[in-house]
Amino acid sequence: MDILPQLILNSLIAGSIYAILALGFNLIFSTVNFFDLSYGAVAVIGAYAVFYFSKLLGWPLFVAVPLGVLISGTIGFLLYTSVYRRLRMRRSSNTVLLVASLGVLTALQALLAIFFSSQFQTLSATSSGERLFSLFSGSITETQVIILLTAVAVLLGLAFVLKLTLFGKAVKAVGDDEEVAKIVGINTDKIIGKVFFIGSAIAGLAAILVGFDTGIEPIMGLPLLLKGVIASIVGGIGNVYGGVAGAFLLGFVENFGIWKISGEWKDAIAFAVLILFLVFRPQGIFKK
Amino acid sequence: MPYVIHLLIMVSIYSILALSLNLVVGFTGLVFVAAAAFFGIGAYVTAIVMTSFGFNFFLACIVGALFSALIAFAIGAVLSKFRGDYYTLASVGFNIIIYSVFLNWQTVTRGPLGIPGIPRPSIFGLSFSDNFSFLILASLLVILVFLACRFIEQSSFGRVLRAIREDEKAVSVFGYEVLYFKLATFVVAAAFSAFAGSLYASYITFIDPSTFFVNESIFILAVVILGGLASNRGAVLGAAVLVLLPEALRFVGFPPDIAAQMRQVVYGLLLVILMMYRPQGLMGEYKL
Repeated sequence: MDILPQLILNSLIAGSIYAILALGFNLIFSTVNFFDLSYGAVAVIGAYAVFYFSKLLGWPLFVAVPLGVLISGTIGFLLYTSVYRRLRMRRSSNTVLLVASLGVLTALQALLAIFFSSQFQTLSATSSGERLFSLFSGSITETQVIILLTAVAVLLGLAFVLKLTLFGKAVKAVGDDEEVAKIVGINTDKIIGKVFFIGSAIAGLAAILVGFDTGIEPIMGLPLLLKGVIASIVGGIGNVYGGVAGAFLLGFVENFGIWKISGEWKDAIAFAVLILFLVFRPQGIFKK
Repeated sequence: MPYVIHLLIMVSIYSILALSLNLVVGFTGLVFVAAAAFFGIGAYVTAIVMTSFGFNFFLACIVGALFSALIAFAIGAVLSKFRGDYYTLASVGFNIIIYSVFLNWQTVTRGPLGIPGIPRPSIFGLSFSDNFSFLILASLLVILVFLACRFIEQSSFGRVLRAIREDEKAVSVFGYEVLYFKLATFVVAAAFSAFAGSLYASYITFIDPSTFFVNESIFILAVVILGGLASNRGAVLGAAVLVLLPEALRFVGFPPDIAAQMRQVVYGLLLVILMMYRPQGLMGEYKL
C-alpha cells in the first residue's frame, strides 16, 4: 500500500478536527478579544456527557450526542456569565482573563478525572466492528468520514449564520467595537452570551468526534485547546475562516512531519509551527 | 515528624521555583507558563551527570544551572519578540516542546521510564542522605536564592525592571536596552529554577517526564500569583500555602489519587478567585 494517500487522508481528518476547534475558538475570540483557555475543558465535558449518557445509562446515540453538545454549550455560557462577564465589567486586562480561564481549565479537567477517573475511554460502541472505506488506496473509518462531513457542515452553518442573519451582523459589530455596538442599541451582553454558547457547543462537538475516533481522557482538554489556538493563530486570529486554513496546514505539517520523525513528536511539531508563525508572520495567513 | 520534614522540603523546593518565576512574572509583568521546563532541565541534567558520570551533587547543580541558563538564553531571545497573551501561549509551547524532549529523547532521558537511583548529595565526607540534613541544605538554598532575588530587586537593575513593567516605551526612550534587561532576568530565573530541579531530583531520587508538564507550570504560576506579584516574601508564603493546603485534603479522607486531583481543583479555583477578587495576590505590589 502506498503511504502517500493515507498520509493525505490522515492530514485531512486531523485538519477537520482542528478546523472545528478553530471555528469555535475563533468565534469566541473575535467577539471578546481574549484567549479563553477554558475552551478545552468545556469541549471535553461534552465528550464525557456523551460517555455518561450512552455508555453508563445506555441511551441511544441520537439522544446522547445532541445532549452532549448542548451541555458543552451551556457550560460555556455559564462560565461566561459567572466568571468572564464579571471580569470584563471590571475592565480587567486580557492577562487577568487569560489566567482566570487557565484556572478554570485546570479545575474542570481535574473534576472530570475525579468523577470519571483519569482512564482513557472510548465512545464508539464496538472496538472492532467499524466499517472501513477505501479511498484512493488509503483507508478511512466511518467515524472519520463523519468527521470530514461535520467539519464542512459546521463551516457552512457558521458562515451562513454570520453572513446572512441579523445575529451574525451583531456579532461582527460587537467584535469590531463593543462600545459603539452598545450605543447603536445592540444588547452586547446577550450577543456575547450566545457566542459563548455556540462556540462552546462547537468545541463539544469536536471533542465528541475525537472520542468516537480515538477516545477520551480528562487531560485531553489542554491538547484540544492548544490545537484550536494554534490553528487560529496560524490562520489569522479573529478571522473565523482563516482558522480553517490554519487547521488544515497544521494537520498536514503534523502528519507529514511524523512521516520522517517518530510519532511522539507530533505536539512538538505543532508548537514549532506556532512559534515560527508568531516570529515570522504573527498576523497569520489571513489578516483580520 | 518525618512527614513534616518532607513537607518542609517540598515547600523549600517550590519556594525556589516561585522566587525565580516571580523575577519574570512579577518584575517584567509577563505571564510565563513554562517554569516546569527549567525545573525539569535542572532535574534531568543533575540526574544524568550524577548517575552516568558520577558527578558530585554540587557540581551537578552548577552544571544544571548553566545548562538551563543556556537554553533560557535561546528561548528568551525568541520569547522577547512577543507581548502579552502571545508571550503566554508561546511559553506554553516551549514547555510542551521541552516536555516532548524529556519524553522522547529516550537514549538520554530514558523516556517515560524515568531515571531512578539518583544519589543524595554529599560533600567533604558530609552526607545529606537523611531527610533532616537535606532540609537544612534545601533551606540554605532557599535563603541564598531569596537574598539573590532581593539583591536584584533592590539594585538599580531591579528598578529598571520595574520601570519596564510599568512603561516599556518610556524606559527605552531613556536609553535602556529593554530587551537586554528582560533577557538577563529570564536567564537568571531559569538558572535558579534549575537549582530547584537539582534538589528535587536528588531528594526524590527518581524523576520522570510527567513531573515537568504544563500542569506543574500552572501550579508554580498559581503559587506566585497567590503570594503576590513582585514580592519575594509573598513567593515563599504562596509556596507554603499551596503545598500545605492540599495536604489537608489527605486528612479529610480522600484516597491518594483523588487527593492529587483535588490539589488541581484547589489551585485552579484559587486562580479564578484571585483574578476576580484580588489580582495582586496576598502580598503583591503589582496587578496583572
